Amino acid sequence: MRRVRVIPVLLLKNGGLVKSVKFKDFKYVGDPINAVKIFNEKEVDEIVILDIDASKEGREPDLDKIKEIASEAFIPLAYGGGITRIEQIKELLFNGIEKIVLNQSAFNNPGLITEAARQFGSQAVVVSIDVKKNLFGSYKVYQHSKGKNTKRDPLDFAKEAVQLGAGEIFLNSVDLDGTQKGYDLTLVEKIAKEIEVPLIACGGANGVSNFREAIQAGSSACAAGSLFVFQGKHRAVLINYPSQKDLKKEVFEQI
Amino acid sequence: MTTIEKPVTQARQCSRCILDTHDDPGMSFDEQGVCSYCNMYDALPKYDFSQGDPAKSEREAIISKIKASGKGKDYDCLIGLSGGVDSTYLAYQAHKMGLRPLAVHFDNGWNSELAVKNIENVVSKLGIDLYTYVIDWEEFRDMQVAFFKASVIDIEALTDHAIYAALIKLASKNKIKYMLSGNNIATEAILPSPWIYKDFTNIKDIQKRFGTRPIKSYPHLGYFQRLYYLNIKQVETIQILNYMPYDKDDAKKTIIEELEWRDYGGKHYESIFTRFYQGYILPTKFKVDKRKAHLSSLICSGQLTKEEALEELKLPIYDPDLLEEDKEFVLKKLKFTEKEFDELMKMPPIPHKAYGHTKSFFEQYPFLKFLRPLIKNIRRY
Repeated sequence: MRRVRVIPVLLLKNGGLVKSVKFKDFKYVGDPINAVKIFNEKEVDEIVILDIDASKEGREPDLDKIKEIASEAFIPLAYGGGITRIEQIKELLFNGIEKIVLNQSAFNNPGLITEAARQFGSQAVVVSIDVKKNLFGSYKVYQHSKGKNTKRDPLDFAKEAVQLGAGEIFLNSVDLDGTQKGYDLTLVEKIAKEIEVPLIACGGANGVSNFREAIQAGSSACAAGSLFVFQGKHRAVLINYPSQKDLKKEVFEQI
Repeated sequence: MTTIEKPVTQARQCSRCILDTHDDPGMSFDEQGVCSYCNMYDALPKYDFSQGDPAKSEREAIISKIKASGKGKDYDCLIGLSGGVDSTYLAYQAHKMGLRPLAVHFDNGWNSELAVKNIENVVSKLGIDLYTYVIDWEEFRDMQVAFFKASVIDIEALTDHAIYAALIKLASKNKIKYMLSGNNIATEAILPSPWIYKDFTNIKDIQKRFGTRPIKSYPHLGYFQRLYYLNIKQVETIQILNYMPYDKDDAKKTIIEELEWRDYGGKHYESIFTRFYQGYILPTKFKVDKRKAHLSSLICSGQLTKEEALEELKLPIYDPDLLEEDKEFVLKKLKFTEKEFDELMKMPPIPHKAYGHTKSFFEQYPFLKFLRPLIKNIRRY
């Protein structure tokens, strides 16, 4: 039996939580403080919080808000969004954030990855990579802040991030985001077997069996958004998380 | 130096329930010392389930009426689901009666983990479809803060009004004629009137005076909208629990066994705000112990003796550790500093009617007041 991390991903937009489908069609799902409090009581392994507008709008991380959210969590929190300077990373880590997630900086300022890893250790530095298939069906790195695909190959991009000092790769599929159709296992496998650091799979999870598949495809941890905030066919907002019993039976004992 | 001691006004307690004149100075007593609330309870049309099932035919008629209304539709009724005892038991019963409800959960930003887990268990175990109405938290926060600043007692009116408005609009949108309500006579018929004030005009005026933003997405019903939904759309609310024996302990036992429901302590404590409001704000600022109303209802419906109720009242209303934790959380959510909050708690209570409110007929036409005794007399006959 092997225990793996199962991670809710929460998206911040205008101070509230939203959930997207394919990085669009944002649905408001409530107040982040309350959501994190509930997840905390559910004893989730870790939470990833991403301010999805910060880089787009050229904003700094909203430290007050992040502090408030972090004070509700006794579990490790990773934060991403609007991080451009090493001082911000320091502030975040001193205020209850365990790991920082860099996305935009991986394009603009790769030196930040190295500097952050040098100062705070690579275990605190996650690089997130959004991947979208292009018209010809090949995987390309998607640049969220610009809202378009780049010509970069995800594997090269991931390898480079690791070389720069990333301690973990957060791999997100844009095409499967919010669809709950299961992870892109081909993509997970392609990246996971080529990099030495842990990979977190994200995008498309629809149930615990998907976690098993992702782990078998080589990821070290599983993340999900819709799965943990929606319930049933009307996608009713209802925070949920699988029981340890189910995870053990369906995932940990199968891998 | 002599000091004149003010006589301590002794509250008069009802000889049957545990309410007293501190709860409602306007309450009256009959020759046996039984209060007007108990008398009101006795006068309510209701069934006595101590012998048999006198509501059976009426209940079955209602069920078939609901089923008929849902022919060819996805749902035949709508139920509000909070994760508390009443709504959970209601969902359980609706399912058992073969109804096809759409469950609606109203999320006002104060859900506890217990509440969401209970809802998850209910809908997944009964196979009921769920819809959640999520309130815009920043707007709702501003409105709750305005109510604090207005220093009025019924802060929960904000949630109660919005739930009703959201539910009736959803019912209408989904062409559902019947809304089943978990409200019931047996456990909550008695509620002192000074504790409650549900009026959208009042909410609007308080927000205008103390809020910092206009009411936008907050679900609400004005007078004419209410008439529209009730009369034109003909959405009907049915308190189905009144048509069956409803014993709180039995109900809890059933849902614990059948739905893995988890208990959360006090009535309506599934919401963190409600827990803090009933356990701290009401007793501290307004000198109101809401348990007294609930326990009095249980006495009247024969589920508790007065002695048992008084014993239960002696239990602490709030676990001190939980109070500390909740207070910190509530302040954080409402963005109050400790000082601001404590000052608001010290402000004397202000009656709801000090602000704009829907006026009664005579308040609107004061020059007709001379007719009041006449009308009262006419009504008597």
